[in-house]
Amino acid sequence: MATETNTRTAESTDRSFADRIDAWLAEDMSPKRALAVYAVIGVYIAFLLLPVAYMMMATFTSPDFLYSPRLVPALGELTLDNYVAVLSTGLFQQYFVNSAIVATSTTLLTLVVGTLAAYSLSRFEYFGRSGLLFSFLGTQMLPRVLVLIPFFLVMFTLGLIDSLLGIIIAHSVLGIPLGTWLLKGYFDDIPRSLDEAAKMDGCSHLDILWRIIVPMSLPGITVAGFYTFILSWNDFLFVSILSQTAATRTLPFGLQLFQSQNTIAWELLLTAATLTMIPVVLLFAVFQQWVVEGLATGGMKGS
Amino acid sequence: MATSTDTGPTATRYIAEFKEFLEETWLGYALILPAAILMSVIIIYPTLRGIQLAFFEASLLNPEQQTFVGLQNIAQMIADTTFREALWHTVLLTSVAVSLQYLLGLGLALALKEKVPGAGLFRSLSMITWVLPIIVMVIVFRFMTQSGFGPVNIVLGSLGMETAAWFGRPGVAFPLIVLMHVWRNTPFYAIALMAAMRSIPETQYEAARLDGAGPLQQFRYITLPQISYVSMIMIVLHVIFTFNNFDIVYLSTGGGPLGNTEVLATYIYKQAFQQYAMGYAASIGVAMLLIMMVFTVVYASLEARE
Repeated sequence: MATETNTRTAESTDRSFADRIDAWLAEDMSPKRALAVYAVIGVYIAFLLLPVAYMMMATFTSPDFLYSPRLVPALGELTLDNYVAVLSTGLFQQYFVNSAIVATSTTLLTLVVGTLAAYSLSRFEYFGRSGLLFSFLGTQMLPRVLVLIPFFLVMFTLGLIDSLLGIIIAHSVLGIPLGTWLLKGYFDDIPRSLDEAAKMDGCSHLDILWRIIVPMSLPGITVAGFYTFILSWNDFLFVSILSQTAATRTLPFGLQLFQSQNTIAWELLLTAATLTMIPVVLLFAVFQQWVVEGLATGGMKGS
Repeated sequence: MATSTDTGPTATRYIAEFKEFLEETWLGYALILPAAILMSVIIIYPTLRGIQLAFFEASLLNPEQQTFVGLQNIAQMIADTTFREALWHTVLLTSVAVSLQYLLGLGLALALKEKVPGAGLFRSLSMITWVLPIIVMVIVFRFMTQSGFGPVNIVLGSLGMETAAWFGRPGVAFPLIVLMHVWRNTPFYAIALMAAMRSIPETQYEAARLDGAGPLQQFRYITLPQISYVSMIMIVLHVIFTFNNFDIVYLSTGGGPLGNTEVLATYIYKQAFQQYAMGYAASIGVAMLLIMMVFTVVYASLEARE
């Protein structure tokens, strides 16, 4: 340590501050350093989670508390009334069912189409292959509002305005580029010798895809599916354009049910918002290990 | 394959190989066809039409009737002060939000990569803001800052400070929108950067330590260069996301108060779906697309040169 400092003071004179920080950091996992790590993480987690936690707490309180200048409710002010009120609202039930149908169908459609496309990109050589992938990914860069104007006209021509099918197709198209790219990364990692061996045994391409590639890429398929599901569940913009009546409205767009021009029923709005986020948070909790890993490494894999 | 070709003459072998090649290619195209059709009809065709529309005057109310106006939309754009303000807000929002996200994400990544007990739990918790629907995030922030009994105002009031409906306050609304971007996306940077840091072999640090490099130098000469590729991916992705984002601004302030938070995406939406000026809206969209393409190409080539 001492020699280290000596050599560097020779290099420059005004390093003393940096040296002090260095010396402090170099004590590998001293209590001080562990404390610093916990402080950073703790402050950040509080910043991330406190607002959400506070909203969730507020949903279990009566308006008496919510519209009072107090931060903590009394025990007597805790109630499930808000949940009863929101869950028994017919339109909210309908939006919830719509959201579930749209997000599930979008995920299935994207996974099927994306898996086929990714297999093609990963295992076949043909003219235009890299151009196709490039143009798929390029669509991610487009301002959605630019796409939206002619998109509306196309959907109108196809008769897909105000139909769940139209929303499902639109959401799938948003999910396919990244989904395909992620899946291709996972497929590329599977050794081709397995394909060859299966081919020798008389397997067709579809057999190979279904029996070898898909089972071995389940983590990747999970990540792509999760990504597509939340993309669809959370979308506001496309639903706001495509949905004209309550029959096709999904939750993010439907939350305005609880706010009118001038008044917001906060207790109901917060409860409905909590119910809207619960499915994606639960899914995240179940799959988080794969998702976090997949997102962290996916960027490096696909390239 | 090999057994059948061994016996036959060369021409037959070539034909067989060519057939197989054709079959393979055909299947390759067939498998990607569903994706290609969906992408072309729903995204690529509308985009090309959108670009074409930028040179026409067209109303959403009567889309059949379109008049070619050449560069008139672009001239209108240059003269439009609201457009110039929206462009400035968009650039400011993107640069401030992405810089903050990157710096905070880097700090958080350095903390998360440490092997302290419990770091794994924090790692998984942190991504939760990223999966929340944007509308839910906006409702949370609006609730926290609402004028009546929002928790932020309760705290400010009890400290004897000014209370207000902060999203309606010029000068505060914009920083709040930056804050929401930071809140939502920083964990994503942290997770990606942490993964990149962890893939750097420990031996490099050991060698550097033997050569007398302190932690700061190790960070500068070992960590930073090796996370620069992931950094580029994260920054490009989020610049594009922030620059093009519509929901966060539209749902929280709608561009107000007094146009203080108007960005290009919300301005286009209003031009197209409230003023029905499709051609003009499309030309602003094309301008956004060009800016993003130039940005991506310049950044990627700078990165490649290093």
